[in-house]
Amino acid sequence: MRRRLAVLAATAALLTACTSTQDHGDKPEATAPVPGTLRVLASSELSDMTPVLDQVRKDTGITVKPTYMGTLDAVDLVAKGGADQAYDALWLSSNDYLRLRPDAAKKIVSETPVMSSPVAIGVRTDAVARLHWKPEDVTWSRIEQAVQDGELTYGMTDPARSNSGFSTLVSVASALSGAQSALTDADVTKATPRLKEFFKGQKLTSGSSGWLAQAYVRRGNVDALLNYESVLKQIDGLTVIRPKDGVVTADYPVSTLAASSAGTREQVRRLTEALRSDAVQKLITERTYRRPVVPSVRPAAGLDTGRRRELPFPGSRSVADGLLDSYENKLRRPSRTVYVLDTSGSMRGDRLDRLKKALIGLTGDFRQREEVTLMPFGSDVKSVRTHVVSPADPQSGLTAIRKDTDALTADGDTAIYTSLEKAYEHLGGGKDTFTSIVLMTDGENTTGAKAGDFDAFYRGLAPAERETPVFPILFGDSDRAELAHIADLTGGRLFDARQGSLDGAFEEIRGYQ
Amino acid sequence: MLGSGSTLHRVRRIAGIVLAVLLIGGVVAAVVAGRQDGDKGTATKTVRAVIGSEKADFFADPDVVKALAAKGYTVKTETSGSWAMEGLDLKGFDLAFPSSQAPADAIAAKYHVRQPLPRPFYSPLVVVAHRSAAQVLAANGLTTVDQHRGVLKMSAYLDAARHDRTWQQLKGSGKYGELAGTVYIASTDPETSNSGALYLAAASYVAQGGKVVASNADVDRTAPLMRKLISVQGAQQSSSDAPFRDFVSGAGNPLVLVYESQVASLLIGKQDPGDLTVLYPDNTATSDHTVVPLTQTGRDLGELLSTDPALRRLAVRHGFRPQGDAAEFTAATAPYTSYLNQTLTGVRQAPVPTSAVLHEMARRARG
Repeated sequence: MRRRLAVLAATAALLTACTSTQDHGDKPEATAPVPGTLRVLASSELSDMTPVLDQVRKDTGITVKPTYMGTLDAVDLVAKGGADQAYDALWLSSNDYLRLRPDAAKKIVSETPVMSSPVAIGVRTDAVARLHWKPEDVTWSRIEQAVQDGELTYGMTDPARSNSGFSTLVSVASALSGAQSALTDADVTKATPRLKEFFKGQKLTSGSSGWLAQAYVRRGNVDALLNYESVLKQIDGLTVIRPKDGVVTADYPVSTLAASSAGTREQVRRLTEALRSDAVQKLITERTYRRPVVPSVRPAAGLDTGRRRELPFPGSRSVADGLLDSYENKLRRPSRTVYVLDTSGSMRGDRLDRLKKALIGLTGDFRQREEVTLMPFGSDVKSVRTHVVSPADPQSGLTAIRKDTDALTADGDTAIYTSLEKAYEHLGGGKDTFTSIVLMTDGENTTGAKAGDFDAFYRGLAPAERETPVFPILFGDSDRAELAHIADLTGGRLFDARQGSLDGAFEEIRGYQ
Repeated sequence: MLGSGSTLHRVRRIAGIVLAVLLIGGVVAAVVAGRQDGDKGTATKTVRAVIGSEKADFFADPDVVKALAAKGYTVKTETSGSWAMEGLDLKGFDLAFPSSQAPADAIAAKYHVRQPLPRPFYSPLVVVAHRSAAQVLAANGLTTVDQHRGVLKMSAYLDAARHDRTWQQLKGSGKYGELAGTVYIASTDPETSNSGALYLAAASYVAQGGKVVASNADVDRTAPLMRKLISVQGAQQSSSDAPFRDFVSGAGNPLVLVYESQVASLLIGKQDPGDLTVLYPDNTATSDHTVVPLTQTGRDLGELLSTDPALRRLAVRHGFRPQGDAAEFTAATAPYTSYLNQTLTGVRQAPVPTSAVLHEMARRARG
């Protein structure tokens, strides 16, 4: 219990990032520039830099107004021109992926790394003992062996949405492919069987580092997490190991944008200079466990200073995207998801149209081997339709989902809890998949099982069944407290489609499935 | 997903255009002179310059601003990749100040600028290594090492590259877990960055047995090896600043190509270099910071940078070697001779191919 509290406290900062990503939806509001204030588009994990930025404001008078976003989404936004005028600087975990996209790279004038953190594995200290590991000797193949022997399970973030997941994927693929230099398409193909084995050990996936840490604590039966060293160091009870055979390191460059004025870029330069001053570098490493980039400041106590090989990041977009594609569609455990969809009378008209549009939009994002169940409800569950996106013929499953979506009609009362119970019954145990339930409702529970009934039902489930989280989406007139309770009870996370869009919420939940 | 793949070829080709765009919105370091010096009465001439980014710190240095103001100049700079300058419309600029002679010559030809061009300072390319890597290379005959500096034998290095030699295959590497994978020098992207392009210049010169790449046949002959030197690196950075900073902070690659000026300015600035070892390639390319005057004012400024004692001293502070007399550099770096090869003993200057040839080499190397 003590450990849990410590972890939750430590991850509070990270969780803030999750909340703020919900607020902006997919198109952040453009705001006017303010003198002395820099609007910075930043990777979500940088939300733990608040105390450092407070210090910078005291030192320089520059206020950083961050907008947090997943790194890959931010690159996408920059590429499409969405950062021009809306932001004064870009601050990502790494510009490696950005550099592979010329449409994004051309928006950057200069970049200055201000700190660094390598990918690492954080292993529950008792598991380190059980495995007889000496942390300084652990290699990726050693980790792979432990996974194959059924001795090690782990969680990581979704590489398609989170830079920590992507860097982890590159580290694992480089190490296990035996590639001696930058990964090629051939290396990825060759490594596929080994990678498939490796990813059988992944028991947790997440769209953000914060929720990953939370789910890890709640689950209690996962041995390790793969993430940046700085994130893992902030979680209690983990032995943080940088595998001996190499890691990918994030170097957090502050980048100036071509669309900004010279004056703005000068402000960004001053910000960078302040971040690289000895005092601030010291604050950064002590507060966030990232490593300083000036030689005069030592890394915080507890950060091992032994050197590690830097694994090269793929030099082409085809390799990077090919790796992601194979992770999503071949390597990772497939997901099984039940969409519990409110189609009660109050959804009639515009709301139902928006639901249909959001669901149909989502069909472009389902992965191969994924099992999707649509469970529309009103006074009770109306139908249960399950489709699998088969690798042999992905289109037929997707077409069927679209067809079922089109056929949804709105009538009846709102039986939230009864429907959720049926979703749990439908899913049963995990079957080597990532299971989850998405609950979309525009109102309060009006019929069927009550909140208390559902609590009792959930507590009566087998432990494996209880591992399925519910991700409720706030929409229309739904009751925040009711839905937040469901998320807390089941270890899910609440998403808000009232400020952003329903499409955005569904899309964001994909990272957790 | 993140979109479709295989835009690689387009990516590389677009690089030139990218740089042009960067300049259009380029960094303007407006340097206001005449305030500090109390020479309010003196009218100063405003000079507009497009410069390579590695000189941005020099022109932003308040002492440089002061020294220029004392001579009646206010210099406004915009930065651009040296190799992109020739593609730009330089109307309204008084001078272009790329980091290499080849692009300078190309710009001079385009704008019919009379030679010789002022070359106020230069800096050779060097490889920085941690002591462990330098010692393993030395034990395997790839370098000599003396305290914190050494000479890298380029032909031995290229031979290792040709054979995909890994660190594990080098004797003595076993003690150092970080020394694994293919032995390679990490450079910047040769299509966008001067130091990356000069790396190819030096490597191809050695690969051809001491003959500069001048023809299509030469490009063809050297292309496979050049491609290997670049492709093993994966993603490359676009300026030499970031990889040097990564190196100094202990992250990044064991061997990184940087300008000597970056190391020298770190030492002269009394920053802790850690266990850094400076390896001078026995055949190296030099970054010749060359002024292309586009107006008489530009030419005057170029001459001033070359001859004014105060400005020459300040160039040394930023790690550059002023053209001609070596006394200033020698004096300023006297405490650091265990790191710096002041007289460049055992280091031959590899001639640099023409701008067009180098562009083509870079394009093919990036593939």
